[in-house]
Amino acid sequence: MNETILKVEDVHTYIERHHILQGVSFDAKADAVTVLIGRNGAGKSTALKTVMGLLPASKGKITYKGKEIQKNKPYQIARMGIGFVPEHMGIFAELTVEENMRVAMLVENDATARRLERVLGMFAALRKFWKSKAGNLSGGQKQMLAIGRAIVNDTSLLLIDEPSKGLAPIIVDAVIEAINQIKERSVVVLVEQNFHMASSVGDDFFIFDDGMVVHSGRVEELTQNEELQSRYLGISKGVTSNG
Amino acid sequence: MAETLFKRWNRELTMAGAGILLLLPLLGIQPKTYLTLTIAGLAMGMLLFLVASGVSIIFGLMDVLNFAHGALFAWGAYVGFTVFQLLMKWVEADSILQNLAVFLMAMVAAMVTVAILGIILERVVVRRVYGNHLFQILITFGATIVLVELIRVFWGPNDEVMTVPRTFSGNWDIMDVIVSKYRIICIFMGSMVYGIIQLILKKTKLGTIIRAGVEDRDMVQAMGHNIYLLFTGVFAVGAGLAALGGVAMSVFSLQVYPDMGGTYLLFAFIVVIIGGLGSVTGSLVGALIVGLSYNYVAYLVPWAAAGVNVLIMIIILLIRPTGLFQAGK
Amino acid sequence: MAEATPAHFHMEEKRRQYRSGSFYLKLCVVALFLLVPFLFPSFKTVDLAVQIIIFGALVASFDILLGYTGILSFGHGMFFGMGAYCMAFLIGKYGMPSYTHLVMGFVVAAAASAVLALLISFLTLRVKAIFFAMITLAIAELAIVLATKLSGLTGGEDGISFSTPGIFSVSFSMGDFMGIEITGRIITYYFILLSCLGLFLAMLRFTRSPLGRILQAIRDNAQRAEALGNKTFVYQSISITFGCVIAALIGCLYAMWMAYVNPESTLGVMTIMLDVLLMVIIGGMGTLYGGFIGAAFLKITQTFLPDLQHLAKDLFPQALLLHNILERWLLLFGILFILVVIFFPKGVIGSIKGNKQ
Repeated sequence: MNETILKVEDVHTYIERHHILQGVSFDAKADAVTVLIGRNGAGKSTALKTVMGLLPASKGKITYKGKEIQKNKPYQIARMGIGFVPEHMGIFAELTVEENMRVAMLVENDATARRLERVLGMFAALRKFWKSKAGNLSGGQKQMLAIGRAIVNDTSLLLIDEPSKGLAPIIVDAVIEAINQIKERSVVVLVEQNFHMASSVGDDFFIFDDGMVVHSGRVEELTQNEELQSRYLGISKGVTSNG
Repeated sequence: MAETLFKRWNRELTMAGAGILLLLPLLGIQPKTYLTLTIAGLAMGMLLFLVASGVSIIFGLMDVLNFAHGALFAWGAYVGFTVFQLLMKWVEADSILQNLAVFLMAMVAAMVTVAILGIILERVVVRRVYGNHLFQILITFGATIVLVELIRVFWGPNDEVMTVPRTFSGNWDIMDVIVSKYRIICIFMGSMVYGIIQLILKKTKLGTIIRAGVEDRDMVQAMGHNIYLLFTGVFAVGAGLAALGGVAMSVFSLQVYPDMGGTYLLFAFIVVIIGGLGSVTGSLVGALIVGLSYNYVAYLVPWAAAGVNVLIMIIILLIRPTGLFQAGK
Repeated sequence: MAEATPAHFHMEEKRRQYRSGSFYLKLCVVALFLLVPFLFPSFKTVDLAVQIIIFGALVASFDILLGYTGILSFGHGMFFGMGAYCMAFLIGKYGMPSYTHLVMGFVVAAAASAVLALLISFLTLRVKAIFFAMITLAIAELAIVLATKLSGLTGGEDGISFSTPGIFSVSFSMGDFMGIEITGRIITYYFILLSCLGLFLAMLRFTRSPLGRILQAIRDNAQRAEALGNKTFVYQSISITFGCVIAALIGCLYAMWMAYVNPESTLGVMTIMLDVLLMVIIGGMGTLYGGFIGAAFLKITQTFLPDLQHLAKDLFPQALLLHNILERWLLLFGILFILVVIFFPKGVIGSIKGNKQ
């Protein structure tokens, strides 16, 4: 039952002349939340963008549901059912919440309408601010909008980049709650620096360091392995990292 | 206190300042002449808007500075000229219907031809230099040379006279104010185009996607939209607008000549700097300011007319470098 | 045993430089130009040589802006014209043909162009570099309009005719030397040749200086530029001013040769600026020598194009379209321009240099 939905094999990515990803391999299985963790600059966001096609992979293979996608353009990848929530949330500030969602909806039929209802059910604030400019929303609300946009289509794989960044702990809990609901329908790949968030929702983890994957396993193992935590995540013994 | 006031109302203050400046000439000109000049200025402004809006939208969405816009404008004018030549009887006929028909046909022919040119230009040439402003300017400049030379090859290097359709020419005398018929038509046309553009941008899904793309191109792509198709489309529309401006302007100035693109390209740049790159409303406001100030100054101090717009541009650069309106409006 | 001190290394470099093939090539070219009045005494050829020298140096000064600083300016023709007009004012309309006025012409041209260049740089660079292109276009067009309209001051469309002083004047003659008469023209020719050579060497020196290297670093690495912050635009301004002042000085030399200035031929955007752009791209931007290659190529082609047209007419008498197209040499150069920008952004020289590495 736990088939691999996304498989990234030995991917290299350059940004200008910098060799950011130096042979990264990880995968995401069905019915699981995969977390990519590591310090700042380790290459996690770059990995996500490469999967999405926003950065070109100079070497390596990316397979989604059995098809190779490393050469595809971002809009083709999105249409295959992959949703993306970038680090900066990527909401369109000058457009209203409604218009943001409309841009996100690829087809406007009953199924989409149902999914929209579900999203609005999860994130009540979006319904409240439906006609307001997205730029006027609070940080947490913007994050809800970003996530909502990514799942209003028939998304089977959701890529989220640091959703807890800059958010108050209580909002982070709301995001965790949302992801727990989402993971029942889609595979989620989450990039996080926040260990609390990662361990609350994650099932499998991959640790990034200096552009490579240095360790992987089940999240339960990681929570108990303080040595790994301190080595790659900068978490010292006895101090828990929070939001 | 005064400083924060200035920061918040920056744009409003600037526009108020512009408004006051535009009313100043009343001190030196008869009200009736002022009205005639105002209408002339508004008409010229509307035509400039047609050219400038294309540059603005293309830059706003694609981050491409299109120096070939003037050449596309000239091509539009020449295609319109040819249509007029072929259907000269309708142009000279004293029938509104026939005049309107030939005018519309000229516009449509020009817009379609130049849109196609625009598509070729975008796919073959511009696409290779995305992201590099310097090369964009160079390559579109090269395209201008080629396009203008092709005009000379196909139509010859001389100035040609553009005939005004019979019922469009002449003036109305409204309470002693002489109002040129064609100028009113231009104002009407420009307003309609502005209205249509705003309608598309604000009320259609395509427009929403374009506005989103102006803010964040990558994100729109990551949401499943083929941004390259969008680019080509927007480029074609921008080119079409330039062509429309070309036809209208050639009737306005009664002539077509191969280098006509150059002068108006310059005006277009001044307009977008004043109005703000990427904003259609900005292009409109900027164009009206340029048109009006040109006409007032041309009447009062003829040799300074060309300079006053450069002066305004410099002032805007000093106090509000990004232009009056920000991208996306 | 050779010690590896910096001084020694420098000398080794120089020695290697003097022995390399390209150095001798450059020497030969200079020698050729030195001998032109004697080898090809016809006016047409000497004029062609002057055009190549002047435009070669002008394009090199433009390359300082485009190739080294990465800034596109449409105003270079204006600065060139400014220099020409300054000279015309000082030894012609508002002055008289004397050596002092000649020198003053150069000085005023340099000062005026420096001030204007700094002003424009300050105004625009802090916004976006591409605005520089648009604004210089606007100001250049404005300059032409002003020069034409303010005919009381500038001689308007008809321009200003004047005579050059003393040994440079057309009527001067120094007697015969090696078979040809040494006229004021010949002396002016050598003056221009040597001055341009000097200016060119100054430009080379500038690009190899620490400032020149910083500029190239800025041009190539946008992030480095951001890290430097405000200083970036200071460096760019200095570089631009340098290039513009040289353009103005070259304009003065051009005025000396033509003894006539008018808006169309000296300030024109579609005339001067267009040629400069074609030359710098085809010759190669970012390599000062490219300017000469581009200038030579364009000027020689322009001069011999009528002959080429006749040849085509004789060989293919029926191909009217071919005749039309050949007549529009600008069309061909425009296409060549686009092709070069797409496929050989470094031009002829740059590609050769690139291959060597």
